[in-house]
Amino acid sequence: MNRINQKLKEDKKLLSIYFTAGYPEINDTVSIIQDLEKNGVDMIEIGLPFSDPLADGPTIQDSSTAALKNGMTTEVLFKQLEGIRETVSIPLIIMGYFNPMFQYGIEAFCKKCQELGIDGLIIPDLPVDVYHEKYQSIFEKYGLINVFLITPQTSDERIRYIDSISNGFIYMVSSASTTGAKSGFGEEQTAYFERIGNMNLNNPQVIGFGISNNETFTQATKYAKGAIIGSAFVKHVTKHGIKTIDSFTKSILN
Amino acid sequence: MKLKVCGMKYQDNIESIAGLKPDYLGFIFYEKTPRHFNTKIPEISDNIKKTGVFVNAEMGTIVEKVNEFKLDAVQLHGEESPYFCSILRSTSLLSRPIEIIKVFSVKEGFNFEVLEPYENVCDFYLFDTKGKLPGGNGYTFDWSLLNDYPSTKPFFLSGGIGIDQIEAIKAFQKSEASKYCYAIDVNSKFETEPGLKNSSILREFINKLHNKKTMNYNVDDKGYYGEFGGAYIPEMLYPNVEELRQNYLKVMAEPEFQKEFDQLLKDYVGRPSPLYFAKRLSEKYNTKIYLKREDLNHTGAHKINNTIGQILMAKRLGKTRIIAETGAGQHGVATATVCALMGMECIVYMGEIDIARQAPNVARMKMLGAKVVPALSGSRTLKDATNEAIRDWINNPVNTHYIIGSAIGPHPYPDMVTRFQAVISEEIKWQLREQEGRENPDYVVACIGGGSNAAGTYYHYLHEPDVGIIAVEAAGLGIDSGESAATSVLGKEGIIHGCKTLLMQTKDGQITEPYSISAGLDYPGVGPMHAHLSKTGRAEFLSITDSDAMEAGLELSKLEGIIPAIETSHAFAIFKHKTFKPDDVVVMSLSGRGDKDLQNYIDYFKI
Ligand SMILES: Cc1ncc(COP(=O)(O)O)c(C=O)c1O
Repeated sequence: MNRINQKLKEDKKLLSIYFTAGYPEINDTVSIIQDLEKNGVDMIEIGLPFSDPLADGPTIQDSSTAALKNGMTTEVLFKQLEGIRETVSIPLIIMGYFNPMFQYGIEAFCKKCQELGIDGLIIPDLPVDVYHEKYQSIFEKYGLINVFLITPQTSDERIRYIDSISNGFIYMVSSASTTGAKSGFGEEQTAYFERIGNMNLNNPQVIGFGISNNETFTQATKYAKGAIIGSAFVKHVTKHGIKTIDSFTKSILN
Repeated sequence: MKLKVCGMKYQDNIESIAGLKPDYLGFIFYEKTPRHFNTKIPEISDNIKKTGVFVNAEMGTIVEKVNEFKLDAVQLHGEESPYFCSILRSTSLLSRPIEIIKVFSVKEGFNFEVLEPYENVCDFYLFDTKGKLPGGNGYTFDWSLLNDYPSTKPFFLSGGIGIDQIEAIKAFQKSEASKYCYAIDVNSKFETEPGLKNSSILREFINKLHNKKTMNYNVDDKGYYGEFGGAYIPEMLYPNVEELRQNYLKVMAEPEFQKEFDQLLKDYVGRPSPLYFAKRLSEKYNTKIYLKREDLNHTGAHKINNTIGQILMAKRLGKTRIIAETGAGQHGVATATVCALMGMECIVYMGEIDIARQAPNVARMKMLGAKVVPALSGSRTLKDATNEAIRDWINNPVNTHYIIGSAIGPHPYPDMVTRFQAVISEEIKWQLREQEGRENPDYVVACIGGGSNAAGTYYHYLHEPDVGIIAVEAAGLGIDSGESAATSVLGKEGIIHGCKTLLMQTKDGQITEPYSISAGLDYPGVGPMHAHLSKTGRAEFLSITDSDAMEAGLELSKLEGIIPAIETSHAFAIFKHKTFKPDDVVVMSLSGRGDKDLQNYIDYFKI
């Protein structure tokens, strides 16, 4: 069974962390992953940086720009991840925009992911129908789970469609925004969380965007299986470096 | 076999379908159908027979419609008697001769004897599927029934015919039953909605019917031009883009919308823009050069054609806040202008570098009440301004419309922008007919940033093979200099700003920062339509360096008294690189005026 599905079966709320590969330094990737696992993180999104990250706010934009300046590329990342499964056992997901994967070749990319022990992909600008029509069989062939986003504006009908095509979890974007734009949840969000909770979807949901501390993590996981932290973590390593990951995870998990 | 397209309703759509040269176009004068025709028929070719379709109408009504709409044929869909047909055929009240088509609905067991009394009182029969409705039931009948056809009168084959029936039609054509089949009649299977025909599917049908292998250069129903286009957008944008996709053609087809759009183009923008024969330039390059004067539009460029269209669209969709990106500032000014006109909030994203090199336009936008937000990321030019605008849209999904300024972005933007800009070639056609006695020039030429002035200039010529299409890109300091924006040469298939197109990028799929002296051409991609035109060889792409463009701008100023925008100057530099024949008619899109670039010209030439 895919590590993501296994993890989702565990009887606990999941903390998932996003970081930008190649940031702050080009060779930080592996040690960040290892440290996150050591400190109780359940799942990791490895950000493959892109020059034009449309869905991201300034924090992840800047980390992506810096990572690219540091020399991060798809090839480099794959090289760094060689042997990662000897030391790390939690689910690993690559999150990135479609164009770099498209240039690498979708099939070659998926094959490589399988070889390295990557469990899934999140590609915000790959639309569901294109995935379904063109790429789903390739992803499945290499045992990869593709994770789709939904937002407060996504219609019920479309959520059901996305649910029917998903085979891991659904990434619930907490509010209409780019990453790192908002912090904290108002009534609008909790109503949306409840609405989705009541839909009894086949796939569990993990909430992302706007989660930055223990309070928002607790709030989100009241309604969902887990929560994803991105910008807040990237900010943390910008400010404090990668040696204090434990203090970050502790502040979230208490 | 001839073709009749029935159930026409909307003016624009009638024009575009007429462009496919069917033999008959049908207008239904029957109030109980959603395809009921109740507007005007625009000017269309005399070779297309205008057919009025009636269901048990009074003689007087039919006569009135024939005379009013100059109908060439009348199709009778009810229980009109042979006597009725004979009177209609001979009445002196008709101002013109008409063909009479009598309809019979066919199903198994149809008795062909009912035709007999009509043999001498009508010109054609039309066989339709027998169903609940008087026509338009949407499925075919068993055509082998026509094996029993006893007459020699030519007939129309109708009822639920769509592109899926191509093979069946071809088989039918080979069979004995088709001996007297004169025409195929199509309707609902080619519709986006009742009365609105999809011209690209219909074109495909016609080409297949005639075994013609011509390329479709328009967008298909999935939003692609060949392999380019589509909507590669994050889910956050889906509801907005989908709302637009579902509505844009419908809204554009509304008579009220068209009226308002045409009126504003005329009274506010100052259209039609002149088509000017450039005598001295023509002499110098020994060919016939016409300038399509988009520079004379209000705000000084073609951009306003699109912003007028989109602001009306935004209003129809209930939006109250407008965002836009801009490179040269022309699109920003055009957007700020229409927002002022409509009293809407306006935010324009502009790269920090462009803010510096297009200062007059920044001032204009501010004066018009827009907020200009600098894009500080990446190369700080058009690409980054577009990123920022898209991010704004993600953050404001409900009340905001994003007016994209070129034929780029996710479907339906490239097509929508192209349609709004298509007024350029629509005018060229009749203007050239007036001046040269022919609608088609030998070449149409335009500069390409994202490709909106080009798309508008080419639109009505895309499927006219005798019209050469020339696209002019910015080579910056030279193709191989590393400082260029010549996408057709340097680009590879990839995804930028929500569409698959040709894109300048690294081997790793990172988008490259382009360079051109002109802010409006400083973009690492081209619209998907142009990627398709390039890939299929329909258009010839030329790349022009900064220095050639600047020289050409100066030359046009001195020879014709017209100072062009630097973007536009690129198009005029082709005469240095390409020779035309003396009697070639070359139509140039003069996309914008040079006021905004004065300082750049001054600095460059040390004037
Ligand atoms: C005068 C003028 N021409 C051409 C362009 C290029 O845009 P497009 O390729 O969309 O026509 C611009 C863009 O700013 C412009 O201002």
